[in-house]
Amino acid sequence: MNYALDVQHLAKSYGKKQAVKDVSFQIQEGEIFGLMGMNGAGKTTILRMLATLLRPDSGDAFIAGNSIVKNPEKVRACISYLPDEAGAYKTMTGKNYLQFIAGLYFKEVPRQKECVALGKEICGLGDALEQKINTYSRGMTRKLVLARTVMTKPKLAILDEPTSGLDVLNSLDIRKTIRKCAEEYGTAFLLSSHHMQEVSSTAHKAAVMKDGQFLAEGTPQELLQKYQAETLEEVFEKAVRNA
Amino acid sequence: MKNLLKKELSELLNKQMLLGLLVSFILIVMLGSVMTSTVSGTLDTSGEVHIIDLDNTDFTQQIIAKLEEKDYTVKTVSENKAYELILSEQNWSDAAVLPAGMTDLLYNQHQACQIDSVKALKTTSAMSIAFAENSSADYVISVMKELLSETYLTEDLSFLESPVSVVSYTTANGKNVQADSAEIISSLAMFDQLMPLVLFLLIVLTAQTIITAVAAEKTDKTLEILLASPVPRITIIGAKMLAALITAVIYAVVYGTGFLISMLTNVNRAAENIDIGEAFANLIHMQEAVRTLELQIPFLGWVGVIVHLLLTIGIALTASMILGGLVEDAKGSQTASIPILVCTMFPYVLSMVSDIRGMGSVKYLLYLIPFTHTFISTSCLRFHDMGLFFGGMIYQLIFLIAIACAALKLYQSDILFTHRFANKRTKN
Repeated sequence: MNYALDVQHLAKSYGKKQAVKDVSFQIQEGEIFGLMGMNGAGKTTILRMLATLLRPDSGDAFIAGNSIVKNPEKVRACISYLPDEAGAYKTMTGKNYLQFIAGLYFKEVPRQKECVALGKEICGLGDALEQKINTYSRGMTRKLVLARTVMTKPKLAILDEPTSGLDVLNSLDIRKTIRKCAEEYGTAFLLSSHHMQEVSSTAHKAAVMKDGQFLAEGTPQELLQKYQAETLEEVFEKAVRNA
Repeated sequence: MKNLLKKELSELLNKQMLLGLLVSFILIVMLGSVMTSTVSGTLDTSGEVHIIDLDNTDFTQQIIAKLEEKDYTVKTVSENKAYELILSEQNWSDAAVLPAGMTDLLYNQHQACQIDSVKALKTTSAMSIAFAENSSADYVISVMKELLSETYLTEDLSFLESPVSVVSYTTANGKNVQADSAEIISSLAMFDQLMPLVLFLLIVLTAQTIITAVAAEKTDKTLEILLASPVPRITIIGAKMLAALITAVIYAVVYGTGFLISMLTNVNRAAENIDIGEAFANLIHMQEAVRTLELQIPFLGWVGVIVHLLLTIGIALTASMILGGLVEDAKGSQTASIPILVCTMFPYVLSMVSDIRGMGSVKYLLYLIPFTHTFISTSCLRFHDMGLFFGGMIYQLIFLIAIACAALKLYQSDILFTHRFANKRTKN
């Protein structure tokens, strides 16, 4: 089967501390995969390895068939990465920022324009896109950077805590955007989150992480059944406490 | 209050800041030692009086004895050879020439005499003029006046008011010309002061701009977005370096122009008090002196200086990219530029006050700093030290290649985000 993401025995240490231990999982096209775990569980390390920012100590991952170890340049052409609490260039207007990012991904002007048009539609910021980013609220900035992440229609979008620090309405908007992009453009999403509700309502599959390892993995329904729980929060608690 | 103060201090006095402070302290102490040894070296030699005694009479022997009485170390030669040869052979920085027939002129004909003051020009640094003021001729004239006063104590001779006049000669590059070395240095000062200042500003401003920019991108996590995009990393690094260079050039041009205007204003102010015709004649004379001493820099020499400049700026840019990449947060960027600042300050200050090429063993330490070679590049050309000029250029080129490879490696490694050296990858 051709996976959008195929992770095989990925491991990473920082000195003596093993941040990620032999992790393997797959994501199909248009699928949303949620990584749940406490701070320091290894979620961000996995995302950074897949974004080719960190090199794994062992194991490999294939994104649209390209190895993150052997072909990181090819991987970068088919992914889009949104770091936790990432900002945007404050001196640019929202529109200029989308144009700048489109220019990084596409050389052809028509494709850039198409990409920016999609970004404008996804973020839904309207006239505010003509204003400088330093005038934006946290929610507006987050919508803008999420739009730039998905407007290039990547094979895999890697989102680290996409709704961190946002209010309920802004969080709901972001989740809707993620689901819409997965359905309409076939983009696979790998997102990390502290919010079980977010994972439960957005992801097709989820995994619970602790100390760099997967404790449980499956669809939300499978996880609820396995742990005889009513919510993912309960699943998380049982998985982590029993580990 | 106590808690707040403790918190503020713990944030400000972090490990990175203290390390930067320690490095700065060590380097400043070293700079102070080098400066002290340079100045004391100059003072030591200023206690030495060199005389070319072509008269060789009892009176000239009295002059020497009187100088020795005053604790000066007097070195003499009596050969009638070209001044530049004598200074070169004796390794003297200057000499007072007592001409043949001087004693006869003073004692028998009761006429004023003329002695030559010869100085070997080894640097065109502006501050060297200050050090060059105590010449052998000054000491000799002072003693001559004393001796003549004692001899003619009872006689009324008007020539005693000004019994000795001085004609200045300057030697350089094996040539000799009748001109004052201080005036020659002043005529070259416009460029020889401006270029190091502009270079100093360029390096420091470029470093600060890049380090702050990279630190800000790391804090905002926009660097992660850029590095995960399909743009080659060398392009990302190159664009950032080029932008910083353009910004620094704008700064340097503005500051340099300001400095130039200020210098020209001073020159104009001075010109108001002198005769224009005399000033013009002096200017022509100085240009002729510079040409005779072969101190002028040919067109290809300027091209070489520009190559030196570009290499230095390239090194400063690349080193700043590395330091910026290693900075953990915006606070760290304040101290990260200290190594570049100090490595620029050392050769800049020392090249302004002295001749780095003649600094003994300290010069080899300074040569290790790549920027030194650009600060002394014009001096190398003016004094025909082509080995050092091209050697410095090759050293800077090798240094740039090495540091560029290191920067590229850094931006392709984990260190940028983990601030640790990566573990060795194990085979599956």
